[in-house]
Amino acid sequence: MSRVKLTEYRAKKLLLGAAYRGISIKSGLPFVAFLPAVALAKAGAKKGRFVVKVDQGVKKRMKKGLVLLDQSPRAIPLAVSKLKKKGFSRFLAEPLLHHKEEDEQYVSFERVREGIRFMHAKAGGIDIESHPEAVETFILRSDSDIKTAAKKTKLPESFLKHTLEVFENNFFAFLEINPLVIANGKTYPLDAAALVDSAGAFFIKNAWTENDIVEKTGNSRAEKNIDELAKTSPASFKLTVLNPNGSLFFLLSGGGGSIVIADEAELRGVGKEIGNYGEYSGGPTREETYLYAKEVIELLLKSKAKRKALVLAGGVANFTDVKQTFMGIIDTLAETTERLRKAGVKVFVRRGGPNEQEGLALMKTFLKKEKLLGTVYGSDVVITKAVDDAIKFVKK
Amino acid sequence: MNYVEQIRKGKNKILALGSHPAIVQSILDFDFLSGKSSTSVIGLITGNRKAEKYFFGQSEVLIPCYPNINAVPAEIKRRVNWMLNLRSGRRAFESTVTFFEAFPQALGGHIFAENVPERHATELIRRFGSKYLIAGPSGVGLLVPGSLKLGAIGGIDIRQISASKLSTPGSLAVVSTSGGMTSELIRAVADAGKRVSFAMAIGGDRFPVASLTDILNLAETDKNTKALVYFGELGGVDEYEIVEMIKSKKFTKPVVAYIAGVIDEAFKEHVQFGHAKALVAQKDESARAKREALRAVGAIAAETFPEFLEKIAKLPERRETSRNVKLYDINKLMNRTRSILSTREITAPEKSPVFVKGKKLLAKGDSVFVKSILEALIGKPVKSKTTNAFAESVFTLLIDHGGHVSGAVNTMITARAGKDLVSSLASGLLTIGPRFGGAVNAAAKVWLNGVSGNPPSPRLRKGSPLFESSPQAARYWMEEKKAAEMVEAKTKAGELVPGIGHLKYRVGLPDPRVEALSGFAALLKKHPYYDFAREVEKVTTAKNGKLILNIDGVIAALFLDILIECEGFSKNELREFIDAELFNAFFVIPRSVGFIAHFIEQKKNDEGLFRLPEELLFVRKKRVK
Repeated sequence: MSRVKLTEYRAKKLLLGAAYRGISIKSGLPFVAFLPAVALAKAGAKKGRFVVKVDQGVKKRMKKGLVLLDQSPRAIPLAVSKLKKKGFSRFLAEPLLHHKEEDEQYVSFERVREGIRFMHAKAGGIDIESHPEAVETFILRSDSDIKTAAKKTKLPESFLKHTLEVFENNFFAFLEINPLVIANGKTYPLDAAALVDSAGAFFIKNAWTENDIVEKTGNSRAEKNIDELAKTSPASFKLTVLNPNGSLFFLLSGGGGSIVIADEAELRGVGKEIGNYGEYSGGPTREETYLYAKEVIELLLKSKAKRKALVLAGGVANFTDVKQTFMGIIDTLAETTERLRKAGVKVFVRRGGPNEQEGLALMKTFLKKEKLLGTVYGSDVVITKAVDDAIKFVKK
Repeated sequence: MNYVEQIRKGKNKILALGSHPAIVQSILDFDFLSGKSSTSVIGLITGNRKAEKYFFGQSEVLIPCYPNINAVPAEIKRRVNWMLNLRSGRRAFESTVTFFEAFPQALGGHIFAENVPERHATELIRRFGSKYLIAGPSGVGLLVPGSLKLGAIGGIDIRQISASKLSTPGSLAVVSTSGGMTSELIRAVADAGKRVSFAMAIGGDRFPVASLTDILNLAETDKNTKALVYFGELGGVDEYEIVEMIKSKKFTKPVVAYIAGVIDEAFKEHVQFGHAKALVAQKDESARAKREALRAVGAIAAETFPEFLEKIAKLPERRETSRNVKLYDINKLMNRTRSILSTREITAPEKSPVFVKGKKLLAKGDSVFVKSILEALIGKPVKSKTTNAFAESVFTLLIDHGGHVSGAVNTMITARAGKDLVSSLASGLLTIGPRFGGAVNAAAKVWLNGVSGNPPSPRLRKGSPLFESSPQAARYWMEEKKAAEMVEAKTKAGELVPGIGHLKYRVGLPDPRVEALSGFAALLKKHPYYDFAREVEKVTTAKNGKLILNIDGVIAALFLDILIECEGFSKNELREFIDAELFNAFFVIPRSVGFIAHFIEQKKNDEGLFRLPEELLFVRKKRVK
């Protein structure tokens, strides 16, 4: 469904196979301090020097000081704990490769509509976004494309061929090796960043697994809960906290419709007042909607804003049953009516789709009874109406 | 002729891979509201059943199911020109390839699944992108109003399909990256009093087979399309395809667009929105940048959504009026109720054959098969053609009374539970008893007990000159009284008289089957049991017109008469037969055929396990703790 970050360790392991000498270190494991030394001893590399780096798909690691060069095997645990203090949990230790800077090059591969887009620059370590003129681009579709690219870039054809094979077989979406060191006709990837297609996981056998995917960092508890919910349901749930003390909280549905509604708030100049963005879609059950709504309503209740509104809106749903999902939201509201009333919260609704009339009628009756009613609209009214009303309410 | 024009002209027939009842039903509702005479979905590829039941208007149809594409019969195969791929992301690639290998002449399809691996999507583009029109992976499909609804596009709720005027072709092409917003826009176009020429959802996935450029080409070359209504989002560079096409004059029609996602500016970092593509990776992927680029080449890119709707309302309009779209009462369609079982239709009893005309036997009475059955049952050779003809007539009449009766229902339900012929047949047969089909024997018993001695000759019947003075006539009078007494006794005991009564037929509206069989009485010299049964009927119908002699009763009575007169059985022998339930065999034998017929019917259309609709009367309350 989406492109996710693969650890550098796994990307290199897939590219280099048994020849790869890197060690993946995950904090939280027991004896973490001893593991690398033991493993390195096993790998027969007692003497060499090592690089220790954060392996969580962070860009510009060198600049951020997340790469520690020239470490002795014994110093690895210390290096790891240094990096750990910066808030990271996955690390990579690799034998240090001595090389000349002029041997560094840049390559990247990305799946695009026409095939694999291969980019190459003669100088490694550059930021290609700021030096587009240094980059040569090829589209690789066939063996002859690879031959041509190899000739023009003077890269070994076998390297391109092998890399593409690994790329295809393992459902890569993007792979950047920067720098790639070329010495004596041999290639050594120093730093690698890879995105894989999570939808491919079913088709590969243990080439990479869930454990090799870099987790998102810095999420709030509510966001994490929703991620968990999304993982265990065929329906879709998203939640991003924007301003914890905002006055507008969104329970939106539909990938496109939800943005239109959030846009309206931004365009009316209250973007800063938005507490959260998120959406549910794809026909969630009553229970799932209850769990989702609970997180949003808790966020709303925690907000210190003076006037608060809940916007329960979306387009005309294709599948999502308005009645079922509204019943789930009512289940949540029913648990918190007292607190919502005390906070002076009003609920503004615009929604269409299957069982629209029944769902809207249920919601209206409930909100009226509980004195939480802002306004309730159906699909005959423009999608942005509820958020407009809510903005008027909080601005009063 | 481009695809859209071909769709408007041709017959669009869809084969669905996988089943998604809500989507398939919405397509059939669209077909019906568009005035089509048959459904556009003509087959489903789905395992473990052979048919699925859907509404077409208010009536129901069975759409055949096949386990795989190879099993689709040539007759259906010939007509298929669209694929509706409802399989999961895991199976989308392989099933699409199989479809186009089997249907190279098809025009295209829609792949519904999200979660199709990028590698598969790009491979589909490489193989099929230039040969077919394929909407998706992901999104809600393709719509050409009045002609083709391929997917959930425009909604799955019949009220929405109706409110969005999907059956009337118009002149605005609606294209959207968001499935939900596609339907929202189609509805907005209808609410603005305009109609859609065609609509397509590109889907939120990274690599849709039909690209935005492909769709713009369709809109450009379609004569009916006068303008383009476009909904896009932040992330990706699709909108620059529109910009390029306008710049190079490859797209010349007016464009009204809304690019959603200015909300992204309120965040500290770029946010991943609902769709996979909806993430700004580079500066020019922001909503603002894309709006500006569109405006720079003369397209209208609305600032707000309400403004977007206003601009749509101002677009040129040319609605097709020639099409005959009937107006249907949507409420009627909303209130349609599903049939409980689908079953074979049998000849109405009104069309019963006539076996005897006057005193002449029309039925031949020479069936060796029936003769063998009778001889096996009564244990000696059959002497009379009348006996044979009577048995043959009874068998013919009792084969099946349709799918409503309890024995047939049990057979069908057992068949749908996946059970075999013998189990299903047994389930039906085991239902036969006092309330269903087992009344022939019970009636024979009542008739036998009711008539004692020999009946009076016709000369001595009531009203005849000799009647008053004859002892036989007196006995006859007694029997008449006996009929009344018997009915009285049964009534007092709260019992029903077996062989009497019908739900539908009544005095003045005779059961044609009873009429047909009664003809046999004319072939007999005497028929005391038949007479007695009729006497009982006189008594009961005097109370209630529905309490007429029914088919069980007439079979029992005439069979008693025939066995005595034509085959020479004694009354004692008949009593033995009754004790051995011989008379019920006359129901069991032909009805077994009927049950088997129902079994075969269910297996043919195998609709999967049967379950009653949710609405049940709960007579036992849940225990409260």
